[in-house]
Amino acid sequence: MHPFKLPPQILRLVLLTLAIVGSYLVARAFLTPPSFGQYGWYRGDALGLIASRPPVFAGKQACDECHSDILKKLAQDAHKTLSCEACHGVSRQHGDNPDIPPDKATGSHCIRCHEANPARPAWFKQIVVKDHYSGKCTECHMPHQPTQTP
Amino acid sequence: MKTQFSRRSSLLRLGGAIAGLLTISAVRTAKAVVQKVFVSTSAPKGYDPTKHKWLMCIDDNKCIGCGLCVEACKRENGVPEGPYFRTWIERYIIPKPKPGSDRTRGEALVDSPNGGMHGFPEPPLPKDQIEHAFFVPKLCNLCENPPCVQVCPVGATFRAPDGAVLIDPKYCIGCGFCIQACPYGSRFLNPVTKTAEKCTLCYHRITRGLKPACVEICPAEARIFGDLNNLHADDPLQKFYEKNRVQVLKPYLGTEPRVLYAGLDKEVR
Amino acid sequence: MITEVTNIVVEVLPQFEGYVFPNEAIAQPLWSTLIVVYPYITGLVAGAFIMASLVRVFNVKALEPVYRLSMLTALAFLLCATLPLLCHLGHPERCYEIMMTPHMTSPMAIFGFVYAWYLMAVLLLELWFDFRQDFVKWSKVTSGFRGIIYRALTLGVTDVSEQSVRLDMKMEWILSIVGIPSAFLLHGYVGFIFGSIKANPWWGNVLMPIMFILSAIVSGIALCVFNYIVLTWIRRKTVDMRCLDTMAMFLFYALVVDAVIEGLDVFHRGYAAEEGFAVLQTMIREKLFYTLNIGQVGIGTLLPLLMLGSLQLLRRRVPEAIRRTMIFCSGAMILLGVLAMRWNVVMGGQFFSKSLRGVMSYKMEFAGQEGWLISAVILCLPFIILTVLVKLFLSEQLQPSEHEPQNKSTT
Repeated sequence: MHPFKLPPQILRLVLLTLAIVGSYLVARAFLTPPSFGQYGWYRGDALGLIASRPPVFAGKQACDECHSDILKKLAQDAHKTLSCEACHGVSRQHGDNPDIPPDKATGSHCIRCHEANPARPAWFKQIVVKDHYSGKCTECHMPHQPTQTP
Repeated sequence: MKTQFSRRSSLLRLGGAIAGLLTISAVRTAKAVVQKVFVSTSAPKGYDPTKHKWLMCIDDNKCIGCGLCVEACKRENGVPEGPYFRTWIERYIIPKPKPGSDRTRGEALVDSPNGGMHGFPEPPLPKDQIEHAFFVPKLCNLCENPPCVQVCPVGATFRAPDGAVLIDPKYCIGCGFCIQACPYGSRFLNPVTKTAEKCTLCYHRITRGLKPACVEICPAEARIFGDLNNLHADDPLQKFYEKNRVQVLKPYLGTEPRVLYAGLDKEVR
Repeated sequence: MITEVTNIVVEVLPQFEGYVFPNEAIAQPLWSTLIVVYPYITGLVAGAFIMASLVRVFNVKALEPVYRLSMLTALAFLLCATLPLLCHLGHPERCYEIMMTPHMTSPMAIFGFVYAWYLMAVLLLELWFDFRQDFVKWSKVTSGFRGIIYRALTLGVTDVSEQSVRLDMKMEWILSIVGIPSAFLLHGYVGFIFGSIKANPWWGNVLMPIMFILSAIVSGIALCVFNYIVLTWIRRKTVDMRCLDTMAMFLFYALVVDAVIEGLDVFHRGYAAEEGFAVLQTMIREKLFYTLNIGQVGIGTLLPLLMLGSLQLLRRRVPEAIRRTMIFCSGAMILLGVLAMRWNVVMGGQFFSKSLRGVMSYKMEFAGQEGWLISAVILCLPFIILTVLVKLFLSEQLQPSEHEPQNKSTT
């Protein structure tokens, strides 16, 4: 009797196991994305993919290219922290082509920030609109220089 | 007889493996071609994620609860309508204790109607019953030890070398495990793409040298964003850092968030 | 607290009480009935296997008549165990990624390997060694499709000499021993999927894997009781009362341990009363009242404990027919109770906000990807598979070969 002869059923199972493990390794070699593991346990290409989305808001710097005069005025008064697009709306297309106006629908109005609310910090200027004045804000306040009157 | 049979079967098995292999490789090549055609990976040239260290700070004494950031975020990132937010604002109203109560303060009332996107209604209490009231902007906490990344079964969500915790939309299987694991409720399952989604710090903007949309639009400078590796002389981040003592949300979970808050209340979690 | 807060939010989101994070205010739960069914099925697998191991490892001779039935039950349910997960994915077509790039820190990714190990290396192997001798025998006496199946299942090994059968027995014994920790691992891991989520105070709990394993053992034995009685009833045979009484005994002991550990969990939560305890209390009182107090505790634990416990004391005095009915009813009630327990764990973790300030309600849909219908179908599927397996491998026409006594093979 041969001392090292594997019993037939064990031999069959060993072959089957090798086939399964082998096909798993082959599949893994083929189905793992090429950039996987570039920085860590993820697709390195994902960074580029996520960054490839085109920006929607142009940013204050883009406005500065043409409207630096207004921005200079703005910087001297209380509204210096405001972004242009907060009130005027999304302006990326306007930046590329001045004929397209900024998207007014996404702009906002004075009372969005200045309506009184107990949760707003005390340092922030707030009014109760119905007690304040019924006309337009711009009759008395200049949006770019809020401390000055027109 | 028996050995012949087994040899034949192994040969068949080998043939099958080779055939499968060829099909897989053919499919893969086709897939790569299709991906190249349809997915524009016009990543900004010259952006090296290992050279940056992004940090977001929130000065909670400044938030005025206008909701512009929420609106801007939805628009910038094409977030669907409905209860899906990459950033949102919470309003906390802490009433005075009821007369005769031995408590130091009343039970906090918190709300965030539509994420605070269109502002907040009148508070449910008259002003004289309110002890404190304040707004808190929330977003992905960019944890150093993100529990969401830990549980992702496939490596579709990850922490990039620059500190941004991101989701690979082409690799996410939509199991929802990361959403369950996030202690801050920052993630949601996008009903359109069926993948998990959350704040990316506007990765497409910061890699182009722009600020994230919420930071750009915030009128009160409540959100301060910057690159710790490239601080310039009068960087707002530097000033904020020097001036404030900061805290993070749910610190006991050991997630080590990289969104630092100044001026939080104990009720915020 | 909750009612006060409701005043603010009620106009916007009527199905929520208190404050929930805006992203949590979805109409359907993220993990729905499918994820309730998933740990239930996996638990039945682990339980049925451990029940079968009592025969092979602990040599409980009285249970020999249900050994093969329990093993086939385990197999039928294991084949369906990943289906609910697969159906629930947002992108089922990407599921291969779990095996290709498994993230080693994720319980869900490791589950894929634990599952594969358990299916291929434990359950199928043990069944194969147990049935191999019979496959060879049956393939000679049957023809047609059945004959082909038996012949294929021999994997071309026709050696049934005494020596090789003894090797089979030995392998089976080894596999059973490997199988018990594997079964614990399989279901403990399912418990860990929930227990590892520290963000959720209802889930994040070291006792979770232990509770899952214990309730799995209970439900697995109950399922074997259920299947055994149903099978003998269909085949109009008499129930082996010695076997049934032994199963009832093990079921009782497992249930006692399970009830104690689950009670300990409740006690610890109540005593520690950590952050968010108030919202958990509200949830138990309102959202989980029926499934927890009535389903899990009443129907699933107390009543079966009472019935099985009284049978342990008064076994001799209760007539066989009544005993049989009582054991069958306890088994069926435990099966319902454990399903309720899975519901309470999975849904309970999603009924309250991670802000710990509010609770949610959902509209469970009937059809659709996460609906009741698919879950019900997935829950029925193992029984259909089991019917086929029983027809093929526990056929009344094909008698199994006589097994050699266990002790001979182990010496």
